[in-house]
Amino acid sequence: MSYEIPIGPYHVALEEPYKIDVRCEGETVVGSSLKVGFNFRGIEWLGQRKNITQATALMERVCGICSNVHSMTFCMALERIGGVEVPLRGQYVRVAMAELERLHSHLLWAGVAAELIGFQTLFMRCFQLREGVMDLLEKISGNRVNYSMNRVGGVNRDVTCGDEIRAAVGAIREETVRSLIPIFTKDRGVAARCSGVGVLTRDDALALGAVGPVARASGVDCDLRRDAPYLVYDQLQFAVPTRSEGDVFARVVVRALEILESCSLVEQALDRMPEGPLNRGDIYAVAPGEAVMRVEAPRGEVFYFVASDGSDVAARVKVRTPTFPNIPTVQPMVLGADLADVPLIQASIDPCYSCTDR
Amino acid sequence: MSAEEIRKNVGGAWAERADGFWLDVPASRVREVAAAMRTGSTRFAALVARPAGDGLRLSWHWDDAGTLLSIVADLAPGEAAPSVVDIWPGADWAERETREYYAVAFAGRADTAPLMLRDGDEPGVMLPGRGEGR
Repeated sequence: MSYEIPIGPYHVALEEPYKIDVRCEGETVVGSSLKVGFNFRGIEWLGQRKNITQATALMERVCGICSNVHSMTFCMALERIGGVEVPLRGQYVRVAMAELERLHSHLLWAGVAAELIGFQTLFMRCFQLREGVMDLLEKISGNRVNYSMNRVGGVNRDVTCGDEIRAAVGAIREETVRSLIPIFTKDRGVAARCSGVGVLTRDDALALGAVGPVARASGVDCDLRRDAPYLVYDQLQFAVPTRSEGDVFARVVVRALEILESCSLVEQALDRMPEGPLNRGDIYAVAPGEAVMRVEAPRGEVFYFVASDGSDVAARVKVRTPTFPNIPTVQPMVLGADLADVPLIQASIDPCYSCTDR
Repeated sequence: MSAEEIRKNVGGAWAERADGFWLDVPASRVREVAAAMRTGSTRFAALVARPAGDGLRLSWHWDDAGTLLSIVADLAPGEAAPSVVDIWPGADWAERETREYYAVAFAGRADTAPLMLRDGDEPGVMLPGRGEGR
């Protein structure tokens, strides 16, 4: 006998609104349907009615976790349209901020995953490490969430606390190598919850357009920082971790290894950051034109299409967040899974529902 | 198959821009091009609509190993857009959202259920003039 269980929109695993109705036979999931849009805010509509300075602040509100990447991508799209070259120091500051943001995002997710797995001690350790990153971001920008670092033509603030950042990043790397990776990869309880659970095949990942760690954990070797470099990523050394299993375990491992890569990228950015200006002064409009800008956010590709008619208000702003193509991958992941694994499976894509809803 | 080979297979005069390669096509060719993209490690990235004259301009975007391949088609007022969701399942949400934003009908698909809007909301929330003065 089959029955349907509605889960959400107030979900037990994630404090964001989203709904998945699962059809079960016994304890086995045989089908599902998804519902999003509970946080639809019409940000694209608003973005076409605010001047670009206001819209930069607005885009930072698309996502509460990777806020910086949205204002940065919006500004980079306008810079591409207007042919504005960001000073080299400004580019390195953007890289440092982007990688610190990836660190806090991945550590946040690792903590959430640990809690869902039932490993409270690991959850507390991950969040303790994440607090260290949040302290750095606050030290740099004055804010813990919306950093207001980006402007068309560069950044608003410098990074002047390099030694503190190096020390904190070193501590995160040490703890990640010493405890997080060994626990996530070798602990039998973690393996029992994650291995072979929520499999997304490479073919399904490509067909559904999965991005970021979700795609990379299914054997899709993609990363815009390497494949379509922007800012100064082509000057920096980093690996792109991939796994072929496509299960929750693979997604855990990919993100854990990416923490180490981001630590290295932050250090490289600090080491190579030249003296010089941070931005190109006040830019309130760019020439008419249009451009796509894509950036590798913590959850994968952020896609912006921006059109300018030469005024100070963008004629079109299209925002496609990484979770937008990743959420539908939950449906093949839960097919055939145990009902009890559904919360962990859908959390394993590191979803951000509010940025998806925009 | 590389992005270059895909472009050759599709044919036409692709324009190289800072953000990738772009090709203008009639709406009647969109499905044929979408099928040609379905190879190797290519993935559907996005569907973008914006007003153009009295009608709409739609662009479909794919990524192949970091190269963005984009095709653009203009739709006359009231003209349906070709659906590619049977070729690219990942286009499902993009088409549903485009319907909500610009009231575009997608030919060949039975269901464009609301994605962001509530059941019963009128589609076209991004059309010029909609929502002003509220």
